[in-house]
Amino acid sequence: MAEVKLTQVNKRYGNIHAVHDVDLTVADEEFVVLVGPSGCGKSTTLRMVAGLEEISGGTIDIGGRVVNDLPPRDRDIAMVFQNYALYQHMTVYDNLAFGLRNRKVPEADIRKEIDRAASILGIQPLMARKPKQLSGGQQQRVALGRCIVRNPAVFLFDEPLSNLDAKLRAQMRIELKELRTRVATTSIYVTHDQVEAMTLGDRIVVMKDGLVQQIGTPLELYRTPANRFVGSFLGSPAMNFVDVTVVQKNGGLVLSDFGADIVLPDAMAAALAGHVGKNVVIGLRPEHILMGEGSSEGTIRLDGSIVLTEQLGAQQLVELRVGERTVMAAGVDPDLRLQGGDAGRFSIALDRVHVFAAGDSGPVLWSAGKGQVTAPLRHVS
Amino acid sequence: MGTPGPDKAPGKPGKSFALRWLALNEKTRFSLLLLAPSGIMLILFQIVPILIGANASFRDWSLYDPQRTWVGLQHYIYILTDPNFLYLVLPNTLLLMVSSVSIGLVLGLALAHMLNKHFFGHAIVQTVILLPLMVAPVIASMMMRWIFNDQFGVVAAVIGALGFGQIAWLSDRWPSFAIIVFTDVWLWTPWFTILLLAGLRSLPKEPYEAAAIDAASKWRVFTHVTLPMMRPIMAVCIVIRSIDCFRTFDQVWVISGGGPARQTEVFSIYAYTEAFVYLNFGRGTAAAIIGAIIIGTLGWGLYKLLNRFMEVSR
Amino acid sequence: MSVATDTGYTPPKRGSFLDALAPGGKRAFFLLSVLGVLLIFAFPVFWLVLTSMRPAWGVYYVHRGLEFTLGNYLEVLEQEVVVHAFFNSFVIATLSTFFSLTVTVTSGYMLSRFTGKLANAWFGTIYIFRTIPYITWVLPLYFVTQWWGIFDTYLGLLLPHIAVHICFFSWLMKGFFDGIDPSMESAALIDGCTRWGAFLRVALPSALPGIAALSILCWLWTWNEFLFALILTSHNTPMITVVMAQFVSELGTEWNLMSATAVMAMVPALIVAIFGQKYVVRGLKV
Ligand SMILES: Nc1ncnc2c1ncn2[C@@H]1O[C@H](COP(=O)(O)OP(=O)(O)OP(=O)(O)O)[C@@H](O)[C@H]1O
Ligand SMILES: [Mg+2]
Repeated sequence: MAEVKLTQVNKRYGNIHAVHDVDLTVADEEFVVLVGPSGCGKSTTLRMVAGLEEISGGTIDIGGRVVNDLPPRDRDIAMVFQNYALYQHMTVYDNLAFGLRNRKVPEADIRKEIDRAASILGIQPLMARKPKQLSGGQQQRVALGRCIVRNPAVFLFDEPLSNLDAKLRAQMRIELKELRTRVATTSIYVTHDQVEAMTLGDRIVVMKDGLVQQIGTPLELYRTPANRFVGSFLGSPAMNFVDVTVVQKNGGLVLSDFGADIVLPDAMAAALAGHVGKNVVIGLRPEHILMGEGSSEGTIRLDGSIVLTEQLGAQQLVELRVGERTVMAAGVDPDLRLQGGDAGRFSIALDRVHVFAAGDSGPVLWSAGKGQVTAPLRHVS
Repeated sequence: MGTPGPDKAPGKPGKSFALRWLALNEKTRFSLLLLAPSGIMLILFQIVPILIGANASFRDWSLYDPQRTWVGLQHYIYILTDPNFLYLVLPNTLLLMVSSVSIGLVLGLALAHMLNKHFFGHAIVQTVILLPLMVAPVIASMMMRWIFNDQFGVVAAVIGALGFGQIAWLSDRWPSFAIIVFTDVWLWTPWFTILLLAGLRSLPKEPYEAAAIDAASKWRVFTHVTLPMMRPIMAVCIVIRSIDCFRTFDQVWVISGGGPARQTEVFSIYAYTEAFVYLNFGRGTAAAIIGAIIIGTLGWGLYKLLNRFMEVSR
Repeated sequence: MSVATDTGYTPPKRGSFLDALAPGGKRAFFLLSVLGVLLIFAFPVFWLVLTSMRPAWGVYYVHRGLEFTLGNYLEVLEQEVVVHAFFNSFVIATLSTFFSLTVTVTSGYMLSRFTGKLANAWFGTIYIFRTIPYITWVLPLYFVTQWWGIFDTYLGLLLPHIAVHICFFSWLMKGFFDGIDPSMESAALIDGCTRWGAFLRVALPSALPGIAALSILCWLWTWNEFLFALILTSHNTPMITVVMAQFVSELGTEWNLMSATAVMAMVPALIVAIFGQKYVVRGLKV
């Protein structure tokens, strides 16, 4: 039971600045997921919390105690590693008992704790085996068990599921979720898999190049990404990005040129007023691109052609070409007969559009989720 | 020499040493402690003797006459102009190195290939091939001496039975040298074999399957698939073995003693003989140091070569 | 014994004589080469054993006559120096194996787990000292051990024997630890171990197969070692290899006795060849 607080945490390896001014507070019993592409500093951050890496700057506080100079064994944490890191020369039972024996817990209590953890995880029959005699999923459960028996203040997970095959990963994800309801402990979970991040996290921390990009609940991040990178990282199929230019026209602002000019409603125009003449990027979630006319007000209608379709059964993905750009639409009715080469009209609800500044992690300039789109939008052809 | 250890805080008073030790972070302290036993042993029993030897090599340091006057480079000049050293010892050492390593490598590769297949009696053959690895060079040399004995050796008997004349194995330079090379190859081929076998067994299967699909002939598979993939391990074998071969002592000492008439002397024997037979310790250490410089340079070259094949550097 | 034989193939255009052989002939050729190999590697040892069991008068005609005896062995064992030498070699080999491994296991671990200047410097040092010929530092040790008063004692031989393995073994040990996942030790640190605890209780047990193989080889190498024993010992601490080499020059003609001694000195090697091979091969991942 503890709160974990990172204040201005930095990590340098010589010239490499692996982690840059990370501020993060994980509330008691909260499950926070660190997500980001490979090499972005997730593991390093986690290992600093664990005490496995020295902290180059800033403080880490666990349960109200600054732990910067404490060795891992004194931090009251438990950790699950990507490759499980089970002690190869010990049986499963001894693996689970190792940490408790180090803390001089009486053998009878150890047995009780292990029985409890084993029944939660369903690993009772494996107790006498060595790690080499276990499947990947079983090893993963033992690794979880090794954490549970310790009753630590904080759980740390470093990509615990990434060595499992897709099916097992989905299953273990659900088990982890269930586990949380039974063992509520402050947790920090590192992954590069956005599905895990979305499904497991109370809150998600998106990192890139050692910098925190955004912290928030899964829906917040999905709906109102703070920058283009966060938008692109979460969601599958990924968000479409279309480069356009903000242009002054007929006394108002338009975005030029995605098929045609998009005339901006007042609120949006106000937000983009400082970017006249500059390139910006429209972010469109695939599921917000609808085939056909669309019904409501505030819809842009565009004419394009279909490049190809992907039938997934529950829905279709459709790749569309508008002018020289292509975008992907998702959630298309699977019964709709579409073919590459067909001309198609589609529509975009403008209240779902994001506008980012140019660049790979251009900050958001306008996010419909944040503000209400008031004025009706016009589509000029 | 880069072995800073806790043992090496140079001449500081104890208190400041203790303080400095505590000021180190515990990770550094841990790594120094891990290194200390090896570091201390290396300093005491290799670095110190080498420094003393270097000192001795500049002095007139006879075994029983501890005059020890400084003579500068005299020993070095003597050795580097000694025809024995230049025209016998050095060529012998290098020839032994080149022939033993190359024959051992080729044989080892062939044997590793053989052992990499499964056939009846595999276990016995492997045990027999590994046998020399466990026999002392001194014993192996004795065996060879006996087998090649001029009058009563089994080789002489076989040659005699075949109706050829006898070869005076140990009283001529080249026959003696051939026996030394043969013994060395006998002793060390197993070493090549097990390392190369380990290499062969760890090779990935896919390139072979691809080659099979391409209907490559077996010889082409060997030269174009196996050899390139084996290059790193072969490079390691060659470097290590060459370095060890350069310091060969036991075989030569027992088989020929460097004779006849110093004609099969190699570098280690030369240094030993100067020091303990001619009792000229200064000259012996000078020879030993010259040898170290030669193999150091060669080793450096080989290391460069090795580095080209694989990343040994960390 | 060409490579082509082993792969069972000969390129057609080269016109190897194997082409002329019937399909069964290739097999026969393979068997013949196996037999040839066995002969080359086993015959010298076989011949030595045979010689050691021939009576003194028959030793020059080992291959003629069928009289065998174990008398040579008894005669050799009556010599005090031989028994003494066997005992000494056993003690030195055992102690030096133990200490060599103890000393190098930590330095190998350090090389495997730490990066940075210290580790790099140590790695370079090891490589340099690996290339330096033994004679270069054992010659001066003849004096150094005398100054330190340990010449011709166990200690005077044991310590150099520990030192000689530092470079090579540290490198091998690094390899063993490189094969062990370091996150296991991280887990141990979190589970309440100190760094030493993680090393001794988690990393070390996992490296045991390799260390066991190395200990067998180290024992054999020390048992078989000659140069150190020749330079650093005298009458007080005779070692078996030196005693045998002296036989060659002193009893130059009594091949039956020399062979008997040699065979006895090979017994540990044979035991290892038969029983320990499995561990060596497994530990070194052959
Ligand atoms: N020991 C080290 N020495 C130097 N640089 C390091 C070291 N460990 C990590 N780094 C660097 O720090 C950065 C962050 O590494 P980290 O392991 O935290 O990435 P990650 O986000 O966990 O990636 P992945 O998803 O691949 O595990 C990387 O650029 C990496 O190269
Ligand atoms: Mg990572």
